[in-house]
Amino acid sequence: MMRAYQLLVVLMLVCCGSVFAQTEQAVSQPGSGSGSGSGFGSGSEDTPWFQQTPENNKFALIIVGASANDEIRSRLRAWVTDLHASLREDYGYDSDAIELLIDDGSNVGNAASIVSGGSRVADIEAAIERIRSRSEAGDQLTVFLFGHGSSTFGDAKFNNVGPDMTGSELADMLSPLTGIDMVMFNTTSASFEFSRELAGLGRVVVSATRSAAERYDPLFGGFLVAALQQKRADIDRNARVSVLEAFNYASGQVAQWYRDQDRLSTENAVLDDSGDGLFTREPGTGQPDGLLAEIAYINVISAGTQKTSAEALRLSAEMQSIEREIFILRNQKVNYLEEDYWNRLEALLIDLATRTRRYNELP
Amino acid sequence: MNYPDVSRPFLSERTAVRRAVHRSAAIAGLCMLSVLPVSEVDIPGTPLSLSLLNAAWSQPVELSALDNLTRGNELLLRGSYLGAIEAFNSVREDAWREQAALGLSKAMAMTGQYDQAIAAVRALVRDPADTPLVATQLAELYRMTGRSAEAQELLAEVVAGQMNPPVRTLVQYGLVLDLRGELDAAAVQYTAALARYDSGLVFDSADVGMVALAAWQLDEFHDANALFAEAVRLDSNNLEALTLWGDLFQEKFNDADAETNYNLALTINRRYTPALTGMARISSPERYLAMSLEVNSRDVATLETYGLLMVRNYQQDVGRDYLDRALAVNPESVTALSSLAALAAINDDMPAFDALLQRVNAFSPESSDFFASVADYLGNNYRFTEAVAYARRAIARDPNNWHAHTVLGGNLVRLGEELEGKQHLEMAFDNDPFNVMTSNMLQVFDVLEGYATLETEHFRANMSHRDAQVLWPYMAPLLEESWATLVEKYQFEPEVPVLIQVFERTEDFAVRSVGLPDIGPLVGICFGKVVTLISPDTLSANWQEILWHELVHVFTLQMTQNRMPRWLSEGISTWEERQARPEWGRRLGLELVRAVEQGQLLPVSNLNEGFTGANSNADLSFAYFQSYLVVEYIAEQYGFEKLHELILEYAHIRDESEMFANVFEMDMVSFDNGFRDWIQQRVDQINVYVHVEDSDDEGAGHGHGVRENNSAVLAELYNNESLKQHMRGRVEQQPRDFQAHLQLGIVLFREAAYDEAIFHLQTAQGILPDYSGYPSPSLVLSQIYEAQGNNEAMMEQLAVMLQNQQHDYASALKLAEAALEAGDTGQADYYLSRALAVDPYQPQIHRSGAQLAQQLGDTGRAVQEFEVLVMLDQSDPVDARTNLAGAYLDNQQLDQARLTVLRALETAPGYQRAQDILLRAVERSGQPSEVITQP
Repeated sequence: MMRAYQLLVVLMLVCCGSVFAQTEQAVSQPGSGSGSGSGFGSGSEDTPWFQQTPENNKFALIIVGASANDEIRSRLRAWVTDLHASLREDYGYDSDAIELLIDDGSNVGNAASIVSGGSRVADIEAAIERIRSRSEAGDQLTVFLFGHGSSTFGDAKFNNVGPDMTGSELADMLSPLTGIDMVMFNTTSASFEFSRELAGLGRVVVSATRSAAERYDPLFGGFLVAALQQKRADIDRNARVSVLEAFNYASGQVAQWYRDQDRLSTENAVLDDSGDGLFTREPGTGQPDGLLAEIAYINVISAGTQKTSAEALRLSAEMQSIEREIFILRNQKVNYLEEDYWNRLEALLIDLATRTRRYNELP
Repeated sequence: MNYPDVSRPFLSERTAVRRAVHRSAAIAGLCMLSVLPVSEVDIPGTPLSLSLLNAAWSQPVELSALDNLTRGNELLLRGSYLGAIEAFNSVREDAWREQAALGLSKAMAMTGQYDQAIAAVRALVRDPADTPLVATQLAELYRMTGRSAEAQELLAEVVAGQMNPPVRTLVQYGLVLDLRGELDAAAVQYTAALARYDSGLVFDSADVGMVALAAWQLDEFHDANALFAEAVRLDSNNLEALTLWGDLFQEKFNDADAETNYNLALTINRRYTPALTGMARISSPERYLAMSLEVNSRDVATLETYGLLMVRNYQQDVGRDYLDRALAVNPESVTALSSLAALAAINDDMPAFDALLQRVNAFSPESSDFFASVADYLGNNYRFTEAVAYARRAIARDPNNWHAHTVLGGNLVRLGEELEGKQHLEMAFDNDPFNVMTSNMLQVFDVLEGYATLETEHFRANMSHRDAQVLWPYMAPLLEESWATLVEKYQFEPEVPVLIQVFERTEDFAVRSVGLPDIGPLVGICFGKVVTLISPDTLSANWQEILWHELVHVFTLQMTQNRMPRWLSEGISTWEERQARPEWGRRLGLELVRAVEQGQLLPVSNLNEGFTGANSNADLSFAYFQSYLVVEYIAEQYGFEKLHELILEYAHIRDESEMFANVFEMDMVSFDNGFRDWIQQRVDQINVYVHVEDSDDEGAGHGHGVRENNSAVLAELYNNESLKQHMRGRVEQQPRDFQAHLQLGIVLFREAAYDEAIFHLQTAQGILPDYSGYPSPSLVLSQIYEAQGNNEAMMEQLAVMLQNQQHDYASALKLAEAALEAGDTGQADYYLSRALAVDPYQPQIHRSGAQLAQQLGDTGRAVQEFEVLVMLDQSDPVDARTNLAGAYLDNQQLDQARLTVLRALETAPGYQRAQDILLRAVERSGQPSEVITQP
């Protein structure tokens, strides 16, 4: 309960969801940022995460493990090359901010120009070190894991080329990235136990499966890439895709696929962003997880072009203020009578729409 | 083995048969094999039974009386009844005389020698109280042979004369009192038996089995189950308990456990007739009944079961014969009397009904079981109104007859009397929660409570909220179209409102329709005033055709007070499909030619057998097909008026041949000859060669749905060269071999030999231009043209295919989109309607529909399409709601526009297209848009 309240406060502070937030300096960051769960001392729970501004960088680490056969290899490569392209074209990542690690790094065909190296444990360590050397507190790293996982014998593992990697090993490798906001997408089979090792306060961790028993290759990875491409998952039309939106889109598509095939689903994606390692299948409002994922955006924030007249600046500030009120009202929906809620919301939305129209008319 | 579990429904296709006879079987003679415990004398180191049987085979050995008695019991247990009779007859010593007489009597009864069985024990019964077990055996035989009054007198004497009468006597007395309608007195005896057990004085397996039976009769099903289990644990050879336990399972529709029990009994004694009869009620009825009659040709339960089976299969004369044979042995068989009475009632032969009722009244006044049985049969034969009346009479006599409450509730539901029906089902369930059928039906009520109720002028519909949004907009106009068309055509107005229930889950549809969750290939059922359907969401078939088919049943059933035979009702409904839409219904082609060549056509007078005797989906589908052919023949050769006259004939109780004579002025044989000549003419006209190696096209839903051409589908798996060679040989021999041309076309297409493929496919198309199977020549041709980049020819072939194939939404959508692009709104509209008739749940159909509506300026239709899309397009609800809000705005539905766009903006407050719609809606509704709530 305490944790949920604190996150709500965070949400209120960071003006989540505003189309204008990306052009504004966010509320000053009181803490030094996030890191692995073990790095937090007393009081660090108050630290707000995912408050990137145009001054912050965003990095992506895409790790593709060993493939069981050529067909899977082709499929995974198609996904990650699409993902690489989408991160650059749709989300504003520089090419050198994306580390794409595949197999042993060689024989990668058309992807040679974008591949940074292999995905052996040493390669991953090297890539993380490269990111660490270029990043600062407040930056964001999103890790994507594609391939096979297993958790049948002992520790849950990601099947690399060479010795397999456990979740705790990856967590250790990421621990030097203090102050960096982190998002993990583990799309492998039997990804759950591995993902649990990565959970920590201030991190958003997504697992394509919810138990070790879900050991068939998940479809989630493909639908995640589709969610990100052309910002398909941007459900709130703010031109940005949050981790929650991407999760909801991809898991929804997975469920639909199994329904269409009239088959029982062998995968159920889950998300944890409270750091307790207890994952949620339907994160979001009223759930233990989802509030942080809602404000964790994939997009790199750019300064953009701003209207500079005094009226434009005033309207912009007012619009942000109204949006903030809308979010607060929405999060407190259960506290209102139905009619009262919609009346209040309509008033705010009319207000916002009116000011937006006027803002757009300004030179 | 588990206690009957309400959550484990099992299907028996012969539930009506089972229901009618199971309890009478349970009480009518299963006791014949409660072998007396004489094995206290043991031979160390050797199993007694084995040593004695060995002794019997090793001649010559002089056996003692005890040896003979033990051997007789063992032989009786194993089903060697003649050997047992011989062994019991060899017992001369007075000390074992009573037990030998009991064994002899039982062995004789098992082989149908009831008079001898009675004689074997009657001489020993001077004072019944002194020989209670022998007297009880005699009373059981009396009851089995229709002498319940004597049985009652005898048992009364035993009970009165004994301080602690045997448990068996108490229970058998209760059964006789029950039979004779003294229900309260019977309950006293059952309660006494249970009290004896509760006081710890019942140890013997046979007696525990009797206590279990008493608990069952008192509706203490849990206790009965536990007691049967105990009886079998005490003696795993207690055939009586094993079989009665099986009967209990079967009564609760738990066939799996019932079958286990019967099989266990038959493993011990493969000639044990009660278990054989029990098995017959579950599977392979004729086999098991024949086996049973071979053992005992006078076994009443077997004869009853056989009779009911035959009656159900429309072999009423044969069925009556079996029932009469049962009554010859036991004139007090309520099952046989009620079955004959049901037949009389269904034929409106009330004098015969009254005579049978009088016979029952003579020993069991106003028998509740009698009326419940009649009601059940009538309900299963679509005579719901009368079924309700008889079920009410059963309940009036015995308000605790829970089966009667289930029958009443089920039939009320079929009449659309949902509320009262549910009340009776609930009452039945509260008192018999192990009846799977009752439980299932009540669960469907729970499902219906979550459904939407919708209405048109003549119809009321229940369906899920999803279907209410997606399906109903297209179903409602079709319902009223059918009403207008059929009322005018048949000059008849059915009772309104007709209730339409659309179930999302096939199991719910099945339970609502027949009470149990497996209904085979059926996709819609009409009960006269109520139609149940599987939601099109779970089908890949033209739901509109299915609905129309069922709505025709509403007319034909109500026109005949549900007396129309199934073959004609199905035939007319199938025939009307094609009358309603040219692409619906059946095509006469390969199937007809093959049926004629193989002599599959049944005489018209036997068409119902095609339905009742169907052993597979293919059989059932063919039954629909032939029924349709007969109706097509009537309509074509004699005109619709004659068909109409024939329908009206069925409103009366007449022999079918008389009806045909009245309408067609000829006997059935002449009519049938005319039909066959007509069929032959059709076959000659079709002029297609059907090769013996090709199989029938197969389809789901008894003809509703795509019919797959298995030969052509398999062609894709064959080795190309050998297939080509073979098919070329066929074509050379028979140039009108449709299948050979089609398969050649498919193989050549795969090899990209397009020109030759086109030749063979066009040849096939010429032979059977209206072929509707999958794949069809036109479909493959369209694929060839697509491969060649000839879009126009591809579309042309798709259009040809859709003239005859109604289940392909994707092709219809493709043609609609092409028409939209070309600005041909008429064609676009037509093909979209074709796509909707198959799968209204495809968002793309509605997107195209909305596009068409916008092109036509039809704002109402745009609203409808976008409303559906809000339900279907879950991937982008914000956009779907914004589109709908825009459509509302265009259609001047300002309040709906505001409410809808608010929901979009709740998720995406910054979405400027939605913001614009909100402001326009506010402005048009006269409210100021410059509402500033915050500085």
